[in-house]
Amino acid sequence: MITNEIKKQHPPGDFGVWVIVYVEFITFGLLFLGYAFSRRADVELFNQSQLLVDQRLGFVNTLILITSSFFVVKAIQAVKKFDTKKASEVASKWLLAAMALGGTFLVVKMFEFTAKFEQGINLSTNKFFMFYLLLTVFHFMHVLLGTVILFNIRQKTKIGGYTQEDHVGMESGATYWHMVDLLWIVLFPLIYIIR
Amino acid sequence: MQYIWIVLVFLTLFAFLVGYLKLVSFALIIVLLITTFIKGQLVADYFMDLKNVKNSYRFIPTIWLTFVISMIAVAYFLPITE
Repeated sequence: MITNEIKKQHPPGDFGVWVIVYVEFITFGLLFLGYAFSRRADVELFNQSQLLVDQRLGFVNTLILITSSFFVVKAIQAVKKFDTKKASEVASKWLLAAMALGGTFLVVKMFEFTAKFEQGINLSTNKFFMFYLLLTVFHFMHVLLGTVILFNIRQKTKIGGYTQEDHVGMESGATYWHMVDLLWIVLFPLIYIIR
Repeated sequence: MQYIWIVLVFLTLFAFLVGYLKLVSFALIIVLLITTFIKGQLVADYFMDLKNVKNSYRFIPTIWLTFVISMIAVAYFLPITE
């Protein structure tokens, strides 16, 4: 009973970003299940095709997103903990590191896509690669948008735009970034590992 | 918070090694799906900071993870009939 009383009534950030998060959950959820159930029609094809995806790059990118998400948490903690001047200085550094990792994810993914395209793999190669490209390119676009959002948050953080009392905008951007991380956490074992 | 990050890294490394060393089996798929749920829940609770938010909001990612991961398990383990 006491626990319920001290629980916050609303999640961090603007309500609008949570609507986006829920819509993305549904969209990606359907794509994940589309992949899993389509696989049943030709398990051998999916297993053979899966051997061609680079698990090492998927692993590296998972570490990158998890770490980047962690850095964003550190940025928010800094804004909540320090006065505006120090918060701006500390949080900006964490956000820069998070953005750099977001950029690294995109570079690694571009490298992975280029390798696949050079092998002649495209959307019409087979059903596995259709899902692989659909899911990973769609997720790539979310990482790209998330990195732009982090850039904007950092710009505002640098000028002391977020304070201990008012940092809803920062929490909204952070929520989007964590969602991108959460989606990849499911995507990685599904597409790269489980067979 | 760094402990959460360490757990996430450890579970990711575990998933990678299972795949890379080609150890994937029926039992390990179950373990991988459970660890995926744990990772997702950790991100929702600690990174998205939903742990201390009203349950009706906190449980949305939990329900999503439970449904999606359970259905993936069904798709992988349900016998295929010709």
